[in-house]
Amino acid sequence: MRAGRAASLAASAAAFAFTGCAAPGPRLAPADPAAVPPRVELVETPFFPQRDYQCGPAALATLLVAAGIPVEADALVAEVYLPARRGSLQAEMIAATRSRGLLPYVVPPSTQSLLAQVAAGRPVLVLQKTGVGPWPGWHYAVVVGFDTVDERIVLRSGTDARLEMSAARFLATWDRADRWALVAVEPGALPADPDFARYMQAAAGLEAVGRHQAALLAYETAARHWPTESMPHLGLANLAYARGDLASAEQGFRSAIERAPGDAVARNNRASVLLGLGCPAAARREIERAATLAEGGPHEAAVAFTRHEIDAGIGPDASGCPPDPAPAHSAP
Amino acid sequence: MFKRLLVQVVCIALLNLGSPLVAQAGLIGTLQAVEAGTRAEDLATVNAALARDQVREQFVALGVEPAEVESRVAALTDSELRMLAGQVAEAPAGASALAVIGVVFLVLLILEAVGVIDIFKKFP
Repeated sequence: MRAGRAASLAASAAAFAFTGCAAPGPRLAPADPAAVPPRVELVETPFFPQRDYQCGPAALATLLVAAGIPVEADALVAEVYLPARRGSLQAEMIAATRSRGLLPYVVPPSTQSLLAQVAAGRPVLVLQKTGVGPWPGWHYAVVVGFDTVDERIVLRSGTDARLEMSAARFLATWDRADRWALVAVEPGALPADPDFARYMQAAAGLEAVGRHQAALLAYETAARHWPTESMPHLGLANLAYARGDLASAEQGFRSAIERAPGDAVARNNRASVLLGLGCPAAARREIERAATLAEGGPHEAAVAFTRHEIDAGIGPDASGCPPDPAPAHSAP
Repeated sequence: MFKRLLVQVVCIALLNLGSPLVAQAGLIGTLQAVEAGTRAEDLATVNAALARDQVREQFVALGVEPAEVESRVAALTDSELRMLAGQVAEAPAGASALAVIGVVFLVLLILEAVGVIDIFKKFP
């Protein structure tokens, strides 16, 4: 205890040496005081004390149960714990959240985003780096409360059901773990202060591992909240295609193209679906545009492959083929 | 021209091996589209199937039960596998601060004993 105090005194002394006499500024106080309330604590959040080095499964169970998924920390050991590492990887914490049909939203690395999640009622899984020099130590905990006036953070951490620490101390360890933070969002809901790219990354991850129903709800939510973005429509169309509904898929890709005429992916996929609908001529027109757009980009090879497929299916369009997307929008 | 196309076709076929996200050749997955703008280019060059094998091997080496390896690998997306491949043993793995605190205490104790610092004043 005394050693700890001495160490923190030394740290303060060092901080003063670098900052002169300037008092450290507030760390949690929001620039916009209306953004988050001064004091929040999610007292209902459950607690799973960690065993051995298993803070990952314990913290993850806290997050999942708070999101309404009944699960035991012990059951998560087999899913996220690496015995020889005596720890859990961030990617597997995300994967385990996804496996339960929840949207694993990686929170933007700002204090305000972190507090906003808690204020919205969602506990936040955080990674902390606690070690020194050659002995790095990583630790998962769950932020369940904060006080922007007294500069305090409340955590479920390790074997502490309620660990209160100064914001400065918490932020020091969180900073060193690159401010990694995760919330488990029920599909159909949005995290606080949602970031489009991060939300879509999580939603598309659900689709990629076969959680199509959760992905569908997430894409629909995104399409409503960001009506001008094309990507949610691309996602909805890909899901329609996956369940064999080519007509809906074609319409979805068209919606995406109308919002982003330069999107080679939407055009490539629409071309492929058109071929499946028996419209090789329309498919050919679309894949030509996709090929031009994809040149030199990450999808060039995939588009070339679709084009090759379409070139093999020569013939006139059947009747009732959908028209090209509106010309006003279709110019690349 | 034909050679180049053949190479591209083979590349795509290889990339899609073991990838459930492209149901049928021709369609580009949503995650690939989302990540195209955000991922470092070197990630895209790592073969997904190869990355999957590497992570599988590393999980076994790090003590994951063989029966659980498949489902754990299947729960990861291609880009997560590419990111992890080759560095499962080094990537941050949250565990516990206790071991570290022990080491720090030991170092302080040694420094105290040899007289470099003087912080344990209560003890003789």
